Amino acid sequence: MLKSIALKEWLKTRWFLLLINVIMLGSSGFLMLRMHRAMDIKGADHIWQVMLLRDAIIVDSLATLPMLLGVVLALVQLMPEMHRKCLKLTLHLPCSRLKTTSAMLFYGVITLTISFALCLGLMHVALRPVIAPEMVRHVLLTTLPWFVAGLTAYLLAAWICIEPTWKRRVLNLALTAMLLRVFFLSDTPESYNGFLPALTAMGLLTCSLVWLSVLRFIDGHQD
Amino acid sequence: MKRFSQIYLSLLIVFMILWALPWAYNFLFARPNKTPFVLYSSLLHDFLLVEYSEANGHVRRDRHNNRYTEAQTDSLLPTFYMRLLVSNGRWPDTLMGQPVAPHDVQRTNFNFRAMAADINAPRVPLYFLQEAMPRRAELEMPSDVMRFTAQGVEFVDMTSNTIDPDKSLRYTKALTAKGFAFPPRYVAGNPSTHKDYDNGLLLLDARQQLFHLKQLRGRPYVQPVAVPDSVRLRHLFVTEFRDRQLLGLLTDSCHRLFALRADSYELVRTGVDGYDPEQHNMTIFGNMFDWTVRIAQPQTERYMALDATTLQLLDTLSIATPRSHAMPGMSFRSSTNPRIRPRWQ
Repeated sequence: MLKSIALKEWLKTRWFLLLINVIMLGSSGFLMLRMHRAMDIKGADHIWQVMLLRDAIIVDSLATLPMLLGVVLALVQLMPEMHRKCLKLTLHLPCSRLKTTSAMLFYGVITLTISFALCLGLMHVALRPVIAPEMVRHVLLTTLPWFVAGLTAYLLAAWICIEPTWKRRVLNLALTAMLLRVFFLSDTPESYNGFLPALTAMGLLTCSLVWLSVLRFIDGHQD
Repeated sequence: MKRFSQIYLSLLIVFMILWALPWAYNFLFARPNKTPFVLYSSLLHDFLLVEYSEANGHVRRDRHNNRYTEAQTDSLLPTFYMRLLVSNGRWPDTLMGQPVAPHDVQRTNFNFRAMAADINAPRVPLYFLQEAMPRRAELEMPSDVMRFTAQGVEFVDMTSNTIDPDKSLRYTKALTAKGFAFPPRYVAGNPSTHKDYDNGLLLLDARQQLFHLKQLRGRPYVQPVAVPDSVRLRHLFVTEFRDRQLLGLLTDSCHRLFALRADSYELVRTGVDGYDPEQHNMTIFGNMFDWTVRIAQPQTERYMALDATTLQLLDTLSIATPRSHAMPGMSFRSSTNPRIRPRWQ
């Protein structure tokens, strides 16, 4: 049954997943290309100096992209379910409701994680030959909170999507905005290093909130 | 699962309220503290405070509440307002009984700032070692960066991103020959071309010994610095002031401030105590007669006047700076530490 749920999600989101990967890899690839061009024009030492002395990390324009893609994936995946209450059918499959909901969210988290990992891998491959490993680590560690924000945004958007009443949706949206703000409080590279494990746990645990919306949906809450 | 979700949602809401409510209150109602501008005047033998209020405008006074005009203040702080006094034709022939030319003041004046946020910020452990004796007049940035390992030092060429084995070996040998224990615990320097000269790096080795490292005509210059056993150095700052008297400022585990003389490598304990670079911001306005050291702490600003020659304490002043109308709450950011984590403040 879980395989069938995964197939259902795949059929709904495959083109969007392709788009996510194109956007993620395209954006990071463009930034890498731009850095290589800057090195050709201004010299590698200029880029090293800017990175080491002025805290530039080159990929900062990527910051909010994972979060936006996480939100849109949740909408693409769950809006069809909420349209004419199709979620009712999904929840009546011969499988526990908790398992069904978890499988749907797990699918989204895994696909986003793969996409983000590909992006990180591309950056690592493109940066490693031209800058020192310490600097590559510095760039990748700085980007990690953005990717965790992407996963959290996906789960929180799913929570809002499945919520059956608009009043509660607005409250959920307010809490979501505040939670996601926590990921973007600092421009200082690696400033989230110590807090990131706790922040990741906090973000991933928001999947439990989706269950509350599912229960309210099952209970028939309406505006 | 339902119970867990409800508890988690409640926790998140409480967490967010503890964060957002004080932030919103402080955003709306907190007022910045107007702290006076304070400098020590060796002519006055007292601190001179320049305060501003909308009701009274600028008020210039000393601690005994003697008021001074703008022109009197310029004359009481002649090294600070040197350009103004010279341009107005009011520059005196002598100061403190000795003849002083404006260029002497220019050479000996300095500002030094050490911000806790900079010290606590995560850093990439790669360092620039500039040529301290350049063939041409201007300083240049090096074409390589240095990295310390447990075995030695490695120079990485920035263009090719490869290690220069010869230079790495040369510097490792030079440091090892002087008793340097790898890897260093602390590396300090000011890599920049916008300075008059280069003092290289100050290093604390694995055994907590202090070393000075410079590059002179491509060769390593390493000098171990004797530090008393009672001093456990914690933070190092390389200084490149115009008068070239100092190599750096240092603090120890007891939060005392030391100065390292450039010519003799003598470690001089200054009159500044209670300065923790990880918690406090420090500013020094120095001139040929005195230093005014300002240490900004969360609720207080401490000022210490030091004799510029002996670096001994001349006078102290504390000004309370309570945050007006500030509501305590949870915050993820701190003015002294850029690392994000929840804090109660």
